[in-house]
Amino acid sequence: MTTSTAPHARGDIAASPPVTRARRTSRARFRAAPWFMAPSIVLTFVFVYGFIGFSGLISLSQWKRPTREDLALRSPFGETYVEMFKEQRFQADMRNVTVFTVLFLAVTVVGGLVMALLVHHLVIAKGLFRTVFLLPYALSFIVTGVAFRWIFNPTSGINVWLGDLGIHNPPKWSTDTTVAFTIHHAGDGFWQIDLGIPLAMLPIIIAAAWQLSGFAMAMYLAGLAGIPAEELEASSMDGASWFQQLRRIILPQLWPVTVTCLILLLHTSLKIFDLVVAMSGSGPGFVSDVPGIYVYDMMGRANRYDKGSAAAIVLLVMACVFVVPYLVRVYRKESKGA
Amino acid sequence: MLRNRVRVGLALAATTALALSGCGGAGSSDSGGKSGGSSSLEVFSWWTSGSESEALQVLQNAFTAADANVTFKNAAVSGGGGSNARTVLATRLQGGNPPDSWQLHPDQDLMSAVQDGTVADLTDLYQQQGWEAKLPDTVKGMLQKDGKYYAVPVNAHRANVLWTNPGLLKKAGVTLTDDTTITDFVADLPKLKSSGAAPICLGAKDPFAPAQLLESFILANVGPDAWKQLMTGAVPFNDPRVKTAVTQFGQALTYTNSDSAVLTWDQAALQTAEGKCVVTLMGDWAYGELVAKGKKDGTDFSHVTFPGTKGLFDFVGDAFVIPAKNAPNVAAEKVWLTQLLDPKVQSEFNLKKGSAPVLKGASLDGYPDYQQGAAKDFQTLPIVSSLAHAQAAPAEFATTYSDAVTSFLGSKNVDAFLKTMAGAQKTQLGS
Repeated sequence: MTTSTAPHARGDIAASPPVTRARRTSRARFRAAPWFMAPSIVLTFVFVYGFIGFSGLISLSQWKRPTREDLALRSPFGETYVEMFKEQRFQADMRNVTVFTVLFLAVTVVGGLVMALLVHHLVIAKGLFRTVFLLPYALSFIVTGVAFRWIFNPTSGINVWLGDLGIHNPPKWSTDTTVAFTIHHAGDGFWQIDLGIPLAMLPIIIAAAWQLSGFAMAMYLAGLAGIPAEELEASSMDGASWFQQLRRIILPQLWPVTVTCLILLLHTSLKIFDLVVAMSGSGPGFVSDVPGIYVYDMMGRANRYDKGSAAAIVLLVMACVFVVPYLVRVYRKESKGA
Repeated sequence: MLRNRVRVGLALAATTALALSGCGGAGSSDSGGKSGGSSSLEVFSWWTSGSESEALQVLQNAFTAADANVTFKNAAVSGGGGSNARTVLATRLQGGNPPDSWQLHPDQDLMSAVQDGTVADLTDLYQQQGWEAKLPDTVKGMLQKDGKYYAVPVNAHRANVLWTNPGLLKKAGVTLTDDTTITDFVADLPKLKSSGAAPICLGAKDPFAPAQLLESFILANVGPDAWKQLMTGAVPFNDPRVKTAVTQFGQALTYTNSDSAVLTWDQAALQTAEGKCVVTLMGDWAYGELVAKGKKDGTDFSHVTFPGTKGLFDFVGDAFVIPAKNAPNVAAEKVWLTQLLDPKVQSEFNLKKGSAPVLKGASLDGYPDYQQGAAKDFQTLPIVSSLAHAQAAPAEFATTYSDAVTSFLGSKNVDAFLKTMAGAQKTQLGS
């Protein structure tokens, strides 16, 4: 490794002064840049934004059967969205995915943080525990879904142990149609579903959290490594308890990691499909149905391309509501800093 | 700076041209001249479970015997009732890459495909083979549009069969015969519970199973003629007879097994034969499954027509079609279709499949008692198409029905169900 070389230390080895040399190489780099950027930009515009636009067009059109294309716009504009939001199934999907996202993110982030704090302070077998906690992330959702379906089978899974422990009315897990903490009951009005927490989503949340909290843990471990030890030492010398250290020093410094983690997990939770299909399907009364399955069913079984596309656009908007402000803030900070 | 803009423009143009050339390549598979070279026949179905794949093997053997030069490719896709297969098929048809032949249901399922223009006209083949004289009239009506035939049927399954456990029935002191009425059956449900096992086994993991159970209740209450009118919208879904049927269905649901949401239809049938529940409603494809698992008709399980539906045959049939455009191997496809209605093939195939032959006069030698009875009923009784299997109505209406049944499983709200279905009749039928 060379030691740092200040320009004046090198004397006049270089024929021209370093400033001109820098400008010349940066101009050369700038000339090459468009060639490297162009393919990505064009492909992104076509395959991402172009196709999003096409999906939006389909959602406003009359295209129903996959093999009978009909891109004429549907008569009251956006009628497909209105029709969709009035359906019991889609309302249940929206409720389920919201409940799933909120609870899943909470459990995964908190679980990841707890695991990271534990692993960070381990003295022995740190690498082993880190690997073990992170291993579920390597599985496919289908594998996790099948395994947890067996675990949460109401007659032959974990309920057998609960029965042995003396609990003779064990939870019905994904077959339960109860909606807990209902804030509004289904009636003759707009809402055709009970608004609350469907108990059938809980096994799915547990399975997803089990799979992804290792990922959150890995991000938090990296974040914890970046916290300077001097601050913690100084605070403990001032008599701060462990909990005060956590609340005042560690957690605020982990905030960027938390936000990144939430954003990355948010798009997984909104798109969740294979885990639910493997675990419970749509469930009685659609208590475990999610928009991912709805899109699949509308496109494949129901021959309603327009409704499937509309549901996909709704999911996109839901993701954008969180991701776009985050990105705007990040880019503003970067441009202010630069 | 201008030179930079020119370079950027050139870069963009080059990339766009590259990308578009990839898109343009899809049309080239259209050329018919290619067909001479490819010597395979790709058959697409959803027959992947035990008795189904054995039956498909019969068809494969028949085809290979007829044309040994062509390789038979089994492109079956698994997934309850064909839902996964339909998605894969739709993608392939849209991409211009159809299989040589694919399975679908006759009646409205076929009619939707005909309206799309994806299936080939087979009238010439029908005339050549003289099939018009050899198929029952109702079935012929389900295979044609405007006098042209578009599909070749292979079998006739009956969906209104109640499989029973004789031992448990005796224990409960209940007799079920073909003449039992639906009201008697509903009244007997509490007695069935006294046998110690769940009265009705329902494999609700597959959405078509509860849909089919409700369909049987509706058929028992309205009869074949009103059923056909329900499918065209002439009789609205909030007819009082349908309301009674749905209410009875709701009552029956309280007598089903507690783990119905995690059981598939074949697991439910097996549980009936094993004594975990007393009855289960399933089409006679369950017969093949039970026999394949070693259960004996008469001792382990028995059967009656669903109470109140003795006078009708709830038809779920399979038929094969060939593509209208981009057909990979037309000659082999015609050979394949011809084999499907060969009398010997019909006998062998339907024996393995557990269904009734569609060909009039196909030999029933070696058929077990149940199948002999079903085959006779098919040729004599009024035939109605099943809605749970997307045969009686277009796929959109069938899915609305299936979703409405799933919602009903959760809410048990009869009026909401009827309102959804009546609304769907107005907007989705008749198109």
